Amino acid sequence: MIKLDSVTKQFGAFAAVDNISYEINNGEYFALLGPNGAGKTTIVRMLLGFIKPTSGRIIINGMSATDPKSRQYVGYLSENHMIPSYLSGLEYLLRHASLIGLSGKDAVVEADRVLETVAMKGEERKKAAAYSRGMKQRIGLGAAMLGRPKLLILDEPITGLDPIGIREIRTVLENLRNNGMTVVLNSHLLSEVEKTCDTAGIMYKGKILVKDSINTIVKNDETLEDVFIRYIEKENE
Amino acid sequence: MNNSIKIAGYTIRDQMRHKSFYVLLGISILFVLMFRGCYDGNYMVNGKQVDNLAVAWHASKIIFQIIASGMFLVVALLSMKIFSRDRNDGSMVIFLSRPVCRWQYVLGRIIGTWVLGLVFMFILHLTIFLTVWVKTGATIPGYLTASLVCSVNLLFIITCVCFLSLFMPDFISALFTMGILFVGFVSDGGHQILSSDIARSALPSTVNADPALWRILYPKVFMLQAYADSIISKSGFTNMGPFHPVWNLFFFILLILALILISFNRKEV
Repeated sequence: MIKLDSVTKQFGAFAAVDNISYEINNGEYFALLGPNGAGKTTIVRMLLGFIKPTSGRIIINGMSATDPKSRQYVGYLSENHMIPSYLSGLEYLLRHASLIGLSGKDAVVEADRVLETVAMKGEERKKAAAYSRGMKQRIGLGAAMLGRPKLLILDEPITGLDPIGIREIRTVLENLRNNGMTVVLNSHLLSEVEKTCDTAGIMYKGKILVKDSINTIVKNDETLEDVFIRYIEKENE
Repeated sequence: MNNSIKIAGYTIRDQMRHKSFYVLLGISILFVLMFRGCYDGNYMVNGKQVDNLAVAWHASKIIFQIIASGMFLVVALLSMKIFSRDRNDGSMVIFLSRPVCRWQYVLGRIIGTWVLGLVFMFILHLTIFLTVWVKTGATIPGYLTASLVCSVNLLFIITCVCFLSLFMPDFISALFTMGILFVGFVSDGGHQILSSDIARSALPSTVNADPALWRILYPKVFMLQAYADSIISKSGFTNMGPFHPVWNLFFFILLILALILISFNRKEV
């Protein structure tokens, strides 16, 4: 599904992503972990073609990530998701639906389906200006799920949300497990990742320190948090 | 291309959601209707009554240029925020996280703004056209055609402002574009004056002087306005250099569009 091959991204002399190679398979529920500034969001932005790698290549579904066609079956939710304030939730969803080739009744039916999924039914005609941050995130998640994408990229979807917002998003994410979708969850909230993901990669200073199943990474009485801190401290020594 | 048309449609709809758009349109129409008094009066010159139709024709030509100039300012203001607003309100992510090429996004935004400007200007020119028809019973052939010709200038201004807004603050990009127009106005206007019959008879030596190359190649916004004027007047049009202003502007529009696409492709979202 996703293949990163010796990917480096430099901003001037600073390497935000440093010669990273890994693969994410179909149906994998993968968490990209790391402290702030580790390079997680840079990878997500490269996956979406928002920025180009300085070197190396990224392949999604057999296509280069710089090819817009690679985003046909990709849904994306960013941290602090923004919706133009003059659009209602429904208009926002219909705009997304139109851009992936759904129109007319199909688009309305699909928008209705995702509104049910993200528990925003009944709120869809309000303007985005009236939405709370959690509601915006849920509409954003709904937009990402339009057209049943094969790959869902979630960049810090619950950061900054209140406990109720976190629970709402987590419920949706847990439900996604069963439908065979590949999910890339970019987060530094380790407890959430432990609850929802199968595999994880720990990133630090632009490098992947480990990538494996959570069961393999977390041993005995450890938590993911313990493992994470162990890897980061080892790297800092 | 389909995506460009969709995005152009969204651009028009999004602009029309703002109350300020309707306020601007309403004020513009009211402003234009204020001129209807020009068509009512009995004008006397040297004790002789001037033909109402002649007055209407001259007044309409002047108003035509006032409307066009006003629209230059309006589209510059509309287009200066295209990219920065999209970046700030999340619209850019909506489009570019989907299977939409960057060129489709840029083209869609520019075409949408242009169509909106074109229709806006056409409505104002149509108001004058109809006012003349109602007041005098006569029509001015070529008036609406001239309006469509002027829309090429709107497209030039939109592309120019969009390109500059990639590198400089929004308002400065609009101001810079107005500066480009002003230089063209002085250069081409000077040429038009020197080519007039009065200047030919008064200053015969200046008429034969060839304009500098930069003046020939400079974006011919003012010349296109003069050409539109000649369509209304059904008079001859004195061009500067071998290239018709329409081709001159199409060349610049394509060149600037190419530069926008190259620059925008390198931009990080």
